[in-house]
Amino acid sequence: MQDSLIDTLARQGITRRTFLKYCATLASMMALPPVAGRAMAEAMAATRRPSVIWLPFQECTGCTESITRSHSPTLEGMIFDMISLDYQETLMAAAGHQAEEARHAAMKDNAGKYLLVVDGSIPLELDGAYSCIGGRSNVDILKEAAKGAAAIIAMGSCASYGGIPKANPNPTGAVSVSDIIKDKPIVNIPGCPPIPVVMTGVLAHYLTFGSLPELDEKGRPKAFFGETIHDRCYRRPFYDQGKFAKTFDDEGARQGWCLFELGCKGPVTYNACATVKWNGGTSWPVESGHGCLGCSEPDFWDAGGFYKALSVPADPLKIGAAAALVGAGAGVAVSFANRAKKGAAKSAHETTTLADLEK
Amino acid sequence: MSLDAIPIHVINPASETSGLTGNAPPLLRELSEGVKRLLASGQTSAIDLSALPLTPADLGWLQDKLGAGEISVTLQANGESTLNETACPGIWWVTHRNEQGAVISQFIEVAFVPELVKAHPEEVQTGWEYLESLISGL
Repeated sequence: MQDSLIDTLARQGITRRTFLKYCATLASMMALPPVAGRAMAEAMAATRRPSVIWLPFQECTGCTESITRSHSPTLEGMIFDMISLDYQETLMAAAGHQAEEARHAAMKDNAGKYLLVVDGSIPLELDGAYSCIGGRSNVDILKEAAKGAAAIIAMGSCASYGGIPKANPNPTGAVSVSDIIKDKPIVNIPGCPPIPVVMTGVLAHYLTFGSLPELDEKGRPKAFFGETIHDRCYRRPFYDQGKFAKTFDDEGARQGWCLFELGCKGPVTYNACATVKWNGGTSWPVESGHGCLGCSEPDFWDAGGFYKALSVPADPLKIGAAAALVGAGAGVAVSFANRAKKGAAKSAHETTTLADLEK
Repeated sequence: MSLDAIPIHVINPASETSGLTGNAPPLLRELSEGVKRLLASGQTSAIDLSALPLTPADLGWLQDKLGAGEISVTLQANGESTLNETACPGIWWVTHRNEQGAVISQFIEVAFVPELVKAHPEEVQTGWEYLESLISGL
C-alpha cells in the first residue's frame, strides 16, 4: 500500500502548516474561496500517487522547461514528485527500447487509471511520417496511449490547438490532441509556454476531487482561463481613462500606460499571466512593457500581427460599471473578483465543503 | 559630484493620494460584516487580497487604517509567513512569502485565532511520541 501524500511530504520534512500554506496559495491562484485551501489540504493529504505518462510530439520542449524550472525547490516541484512520472523522454534516465518498455509497462499496470500528458502537436500529413518516435508515428502512439488513460492533459498551445507547427501553411498537417481523441476527457492548458501553476492546479484538483476541473468551451480550466488578461491587467485603469502608449519609447510608455494601441492582445486572450505572473511572480510581459501576444488562444501565430491594434475595443468600463451598480457597500471583493461567475460568491460567506467546490 | 548633476528626473513623484483606486475602503465594510458574524456565530471568514485589483498604495492605505495589534506570529514554512493581528482584535493580516521573500499570497482573516496557528492533532501526536521517547530514555 502506498503512503498518503502527507506521509510522503512529512518524510521530506514538510509540515502540515507548510502544506496548508501552500494549499491556501494554490486555492487563491485557482480563484477558489479563501477557505477552500483548508478543504483542499485535507483531501489532498490523504491521496495516493497517480501514474503519469508524458508524451512529447511536435514540440520545442518549452513546456517541459516551463514546468521543471517553475521556481527552484518549492512544493510545486515536490507535488510534481508526488505523481509517479513513468515516462517522460526528456527527464527519464532510460533511453531507446528500455524507455519504450517503461511506457508499455506503465500503460499495462495502470490501465484505465493513468493520466496522459501530451505536449506538441500531431502531424497527419504523409501518414504522420513528419514526427516519429522509435519508428512509430505520433498519431499512432497517441491513439495507443489514450486508450487506457483516465484523462488527457494537453500541455501548451501545440497540444491544445496545434500551435506554431499548425501555423499557416501548416506543412506537416499538424493538429491538436482533441482533433484526434474524441472519447476521453481532455484538459487544454494552452500557452507558449503554459503557466506552471496551472499544471499543478489541475493536478491538485485531480488529487483532491478525483475529477478534472471545470472547463470553458475551449477545454481550458476556468479557474485560470476564466478572465482575459485585460480584465485583470494592472494597466487596465489607463485603458478606461483613454491613456495609451503610442510607441514603445514615448511618454505614455514611460508612464506605464495601456499597450492596446501597440497591439496588445490582452482583451481577447484568456490566461492567468496578469495575476500569477512569471518567474516566481517576478513580472510578466505587460509589466515589462510589451503587449500580450495572445499565445494561449488558438492560431495566435496567424492572428494578424503582434503589433497591430485590435480593431474592436474591448467593452470599456465593464468592470467599473458593475462595481458602481453593486455599490461600494456590497464590497469590491464580490464584484471585482468575478467570483459570482464561478458560483463561488454565495458560498464565500459559509464554510466551504468539498461538495461545494466540486462541480 | 552632486546627484543633481545627473540628468535624470523622477516621472512619478510619490504623493499622498497617488495610486489609490478607491477599491480599498469598501473592504472595511466587508470586514465589519465578518466581525459581526464571528461574534454572533463564531464563523470565520477571509478576504483574498491577491484576487482583488488593489494597488500597493491601496494595500498601504488598508494596512495603515487597520493598524497593528498586540500579536504578531511568524511562521517559517517554505518561506516566511506573518500573521499579524490588527488594531481590531479578531482581524488578522496574513502574508505568505516564498523562500526568496516574495509575497505569494495575502489574506485578511477574521477569526479568534487563524487556522494556520493551531497545531494539527496528527502533528501533536507525533510530538507527543517524541516526548515519550525522551521520557523512556531517561
